[in-house]
Amino acid sequence: MQGSVGGGSIVALREMRRARRRHYVEQLDLMEVLYRVYVVVIFGAIALGVLAGAIHEAPATPAAIEWLRHHGPALIGAAVALGLLAGLRSGSHGGPLAIEAAEVQYVLLAPLDRGAALRPLALRQLRVGALVGAVLGAILGNFVFRRLPGSPVEWIGCLALFGALVPACVLGAALFASGRRIPQLAAGAIGLLFVAWSAADAALGTTTSPATMLGALATLPVQHGADAGFAALGAALAVVLLALALSGVGGVLLEAARRRAALAAELRFSASVKDLRTVILLRRQLASERPRRRPWLRLPATWGAAHPVWRRGWQSFLRWPPARIARVALIGVLAGALATAAWRAAPLALFLPGLLLFVAALDLVEPLAQESDHPTRRQLLPLEPRVLIGRHVAAPAAGLAIVVLVATVVAALAGGGRTALVTGILLCAPLGLALACCAAFSASNDPYEYLLSPQVANVVTYAPVGAASMLVGLPLIGASLSERHDHAPIPIAAGGAVFVALLAAAAIPLLGERFAKRDSVPA
Amino acid sequence: MSDPVLVARGLGRKYDGYIALGSFELTVAPGELLALVGPNGAGKTTFLTLAAGLLEPTSGEVQIDGHAAGSIEARRALSYLPDTPVFYEDLSIGEHLEYLAALHGVAEPGPRIDSLLARLGLAEWRDGLAAELSHGMKQKASIALALVRPCSVLLADEPFDGLDPPSRAVLFELIAEARAGGAAVIVSTHRPDVIAAASRCVAIRDGRLAYDGLPDEQALAEFFAGGEEVSAQSDL
Repeated sequence: MQGSVGGGSIVALREMRRARRRHYVEQLDLMEVLYRVYVVVIFGAIALGVLAGAIHEAPATPAAIEWLRHHGPALIGAAVALGLLAGLRSGSHGGPLAIEAAEVQYVLLAPLDRGAALRPLALRQLRVGALVGAVLGAILGNFVFRRLPGSPVEWIGCLALFGALVPACVLGAALFASGRRIPQLAAGAIGLLFVAWSAADAALGTTTSPATMLGALATLPVQHGADAGFAALGAALAVVLLALALSGVGGVLLEAARRRAALAAELRFSASVKDLRTVILLRRQLASERPRRRPWLRLPATWGAAHPVWRRGWQSFLRWPPARIARVALIGVLAGALATAAWRAAPLALFLPGLLLFVAALDLVEPLAQESDHPTRRQLLPLEPRVLIGRHVAAPAAGLAIVVLVATVVAALAGGGRTALVTGILLCAPLGLALACCAAFSASNDPYEYLLSPQVANVVTYAPVGAASMLVGLPLIGASLSERHDHAPIPIAAGGAVFVALLAAAAIPLLGERFAKRDSVPA
Repeated sequence: MSDPVLVARGLGRKYDGYIALGSFELTVAPGELLALVGPNGAGKTTFLTLAAGLLEPTSGEVQIDGHAAGSIEARRALSYLPDTPVFYEDLSIGEHLEYLAALHGVAEPGPRIDSLLARLGLAEWRDGLAAELSHGMKQKASIALALVRPCSVLLADEPFDGLDPPSRAVLFELIAEARAGGAAVIVSTHRPDVIAAASRCVAIRDGRLAYDGLPDEQALAEFFAGGEEVSAQSDL
């Protein structure tokens, strides 16, 4: 043995982390931090004001309160269970910790307890998640107590606690899965079990699942006796999950940690330069989301042979991994449910389904985005970029129309009835086209074009997101307000569909122009 | 012969069905300098990362100083020099060395750090950040980090790449000192001068052991020419 080797020192690790924190604080630009806080406070206040104006403040009816008391915990629990499923899946891929590459190389290969080395990182992530959740919960509580029985302190308190526990549970589930090295299939199965358990609770009107118990915490001021006990039990189980997760955090697989370290560093950089396209690609890699080697269905050789770009789009969709199909389907379901709730309670919230559908659009626009990723290959094609890009919009638009139809069916089943069905059918094709265009603009954005003027870069990055939100929201808000004023909503929705279709049709040449303009720049 | 410091038994690793390393057997004694050779993608780095405990085997096992790779005891005994240098962005080279020595419980690391920095030509970069260094300087800093603490096994993935001739000479000296102290050194390399200096050469092809013996020029020439597996199996 060369020389003598002493024991590893966790004290050295703590001292070095303290020193690094000091370095970090010393390098912070106080004015920059204050500016960011100022921007967040200003925009936060504006958003809260708009939200407060949008939410109907009349007290809820006794029937609505009773419905919330009976069905609220299970439905909220189902959403929590979906979060647990996402957490478990992330953990089976090595998440949620993104450990620095140097930390893997020097700390995790040092002779010290990996649990002791990783626990502070995990706790920091949990603290941030719980704090953000608690703030959002408290804000929600501030709105809820105006409509439901219970004091402001009760609602703000229990929703803040619920808001803190949910992200903590999701992160805890991820830490548990990564620390205990639960295989991907098993993690998915456990997560689905929780979802099914909550769904059973919702169907049977029972409170047996831990997620439903957490849901009871979110509605605690309207619960009685035993249900309040369930809420306490739910909170206790969440704490147990966290304790188990933190105790096993040292078991993380180093190969997953190394892979995530490299991807997370790229992800942070891409996010800092507003490169949304790269963020999406890296997030897929982090989740090990790869196209299937064998497509779900092989297209017959003759299918779409005369339209190779259209065919290529569908070939891409038919290789989607199950996780991406589930995500896009879930987005459709959530968008439909959200639209129904917003239509009834707060029409301004009808801007939100567009944000959800934009996320699905980013997945569907992948074949077109590949043309942006590989400009040389595109430029070698004997096609004008305007023509090629125009053709590329068709398949994502068709796919998105299907997603909007899913949302429509959900909205109709959730109480929207015939109005929701007809509105959705009228809007599905125009919205599919419009969402595809918005996502295509976003995916073909050049993050370095406005690197030196961050304000312009922000506008360019977020404009497609805002456009998607408005293009989905405006026709629905118009129809909803029309119904509130005892007019027929369908003609308004039809007019909105024409308006959206015209805008989207006008956007396609602009999109082609964007590619053509870029091609004209010499390499 | 003294107890081996590294033993691989039936070691295998697959990636999505692709066999990166299959049923690999290896025993390394203290003081050996083992050159690990093979074409790109043969499985050299996979073997080194498995031995370092950075990768989990899909079959078999590796033991370092009698302990499972990745265990605290194995980590105490093993030093790994990766092919791509890795640094903290916010620590100087000197702080890296002090930190790593402290993590490994090295008492009074100052003289060792000074010596390594001086010999590798990094003394004036002691307070420099890694981002300020050239590729070659980063490689030298990475070497210093691997050697700042004592070890029984040093795994080095292509450590001579990117080094100028004087630095290569220093690295040969440092390796010789480590061996003299009883450490086994396993170096993945394509360089003929490193292979010639080794006490033993192990060649891998397609994840399988293809040659294990003295660094025989003729045998290795046949190996790299893509011929059949060379039969020489040394009885070290």
